[in-house]
Amino acid sequence: MRFMLLVKADKDSEAGILPSEKELADMGVYNDELVKAGVMLAGEGLQPSSKGARVKFSGGKRTVVDGPFAESKELVAGFWLIEVKSKEEAIEWVKRVPFAGEAEIEIRQVFEAEDFGPAFTPELREQEERQRAQIAAKKR
Amino acid sequence: MRFLVIRKADQATEAGVPPTEELLAAMGSYNEEMVKAGVMLSGDGLQPSSKGARVKFSGGKPRVIDGPFTESKELIAGFSILQVDSKEEAIEWVKRWPVIDGDGEVEIEIRRLFELEDFGPSEAIDRMREVGFAKPK
Repeated sequence: MRFMLLVKADKDSEAGILPSEKELADMGVYNDELVKAGVMLAGEGLQPSSKGARVKFSGGKRTVVDGPFAESKELVAGFWLIEVKSKEEAIEWVKRVPFAGEAEIEIRQVFEAEDFGPAFTPELREQEERQRAQIAAKKR
Repeated sequence: MRFLVIRKADQATEAGVPPTEELLAAMGSYNEEMVKAGVMLSGDGLQPSSKGARVKFSGGKPRVIDGPFTESKELIAGFSILQVDSKEEAIEWVKRWPVIDGDGEVEIEIRRLFELEDFGPSEAIDRMREVGFAKPK
């Protein structure tokens, strides 16, 4: 099963303070372990919300609001996607993230095609598999 | 440049209400357009926070809290990653999000991803490039 690990933002990440070389090196070592264990699918950092936007849909209307957004504790500063056998295994990996101080990481299970039941018809599944294959071919 | 498109959670997603065939079909068509345009890099949905957990680090020590989490408006229900030329282009794609999702009441956040170049030269960044973190431009 796949899990998304969401690193919550804080004042520093929202202020655009970049990680130090030591922090980058520690994260590199941790990512190496994830890669070697065959667990890591993706990992990215997000720029501060000041570089982003929100689009709100309501009653058919779209409203665009430019960042920054104030509630930094609820924002995301980065994420991993991992493939593991259980939520417990995901938690064990998260406990080893090299964060020295205060941080919060949310662990969320990713939907798989099987989870949608018959609403995800064979035709729709086939379409999604084809799209994923097209994306993978483009990345190569 | 790459953007993470975050579909915010709502009561229905947090209650585990599964998407209808109609919604799955609408999302499939929307994704199809983005794949054809060479814009879409990935996309997935997240199960309710009741299936998740949080790990809080304080003084470097982890503490585990099981879901669900109550502030549904701030939670995430799904995401995709787009490769576009500008934030405006990302916004234009997001505006075309299927209107039947969330009965037309949906909030989507668009966040720019860091590229390795954003960090300046260092050994740590060279290592990340070696292990395959370099992304297509």
